[in-house]
Amino acid sequence: MNILNSRASTVPHHDFLISHDGLLSPGPAETRLIHVLRSRFREMALAAGAEERQFPTVIAEEILDRSEYFQSFPQFASAVNSPNKTGKYFLSPAVCYHCYQLLMNSALAGDTLLTCEGRCFRAESTNDCHLWEFTMTEVVFLGENGFVRAQCDAWKQRIARWAAHLGLTVNLAPAKDPFFVGETRGKKLLQQIKGLKYELTAPGVSGKDIPVASFNLHERFFTSRFAVTLTGGEPAYSGCVAFGIERWCMALLAQHGVNEALRRVEESHDLR
Amino acid sequence: MEILLKFVNEDLLADSQEKVAPDTALFDEGRIDSLKILRLIAFLEVRSGKKIPDELVVMDRFRTIETIAKNFPDR
Repeated sequence: MNILNSRASTVPHHDFLISHDGLLSPGPAETRLIHVLRSRFREMALAAGAEERQFPTVIAEEILDRSEYFQSFPQFASAVNSPNKTGKYFLSPAVCYHCYQLLMNSALAGDTLLTCEGRCFRAESTNDCHLWEFTMTEVVFLGENGFVRAQCDAWKQRIARWAAHLGLTVNLAPAKDPFFVGETRGKKLLQQIKGLKYELTAPGVSGKDIPVASFNLHERFFTSRFAVTLTGGEPAYSGCVAFGIERWCMALLAQHGVNEALRRVEESHDLR
Repeated sequence: MEILLKFVNEDLLADSQEKVAPDTALFDEGRIDSLKILRLIAFLEVRSGKKIPDELVVMDRFRTIETIAKNFPDR
């Protein structure tokens, strides 16, 4: 990758360079906006009672395999070499997979909330909203079905209110993922019919909506694969909410410009 | 509706002890997985003689056997 081989900034009047390989080099004000956004999502997660965790940027092939990642998105994974060459690793495509590995073969003591932030990598065709490398903050909820659904609904409302507070035009709707093929078309349709995945979108630089957050119910998909149970021994339910930090930055830059965006985010607070 | 009910209970859920009634919520309890939904749609497409676009595969049209029969009638 040649970072010098960057195309011109796609955000007029903003220092927000994205290379041909989908790598972002933001200017100082934009970097500050990214940091403030990260802080706000972290604060919201901690205020909601989530336990904070940190995970590696790389992830073992076995975890992705167990999560059926390669079946759904075989084209997105970026492999890396480990120093000992003893195992196969990939750059993490999402942070929450680490949480299921963390809890593998365990019984939850009760309803559980975890939050984590990490650099994520998806080798999608890069454009103004699909970066190869990006920052994702997630809140993962595990426990009884009712708890998981209530958390997911509460986060939808909390983030919609916060976006309105920032003066950001957003839309919450069932996710439309065009990349499913073969048997995964069945997964996509099941997801659609059960309302398992919602996305919050906001107009980006081009005026076209870009997803900035997703709200996901996994039912017992991950917990059955990672043997995470309730106290009675039956698989727990799980769900998560994920925030794409650079996407929020892009949407705010497009709608407010960097100085106004910074002011609004810095002055904002959790609207539970 | 009887043909659809027979297909679901005797074919789609052949590996399940539990059978469904016309008003049973089909998508509770993990009865229908990602392969079964595709087989159900293929069955409905053959019966109705019409392709079912993905955007019509929503809970309001697929909640129960009764709902499906009403929304995707045989030709």
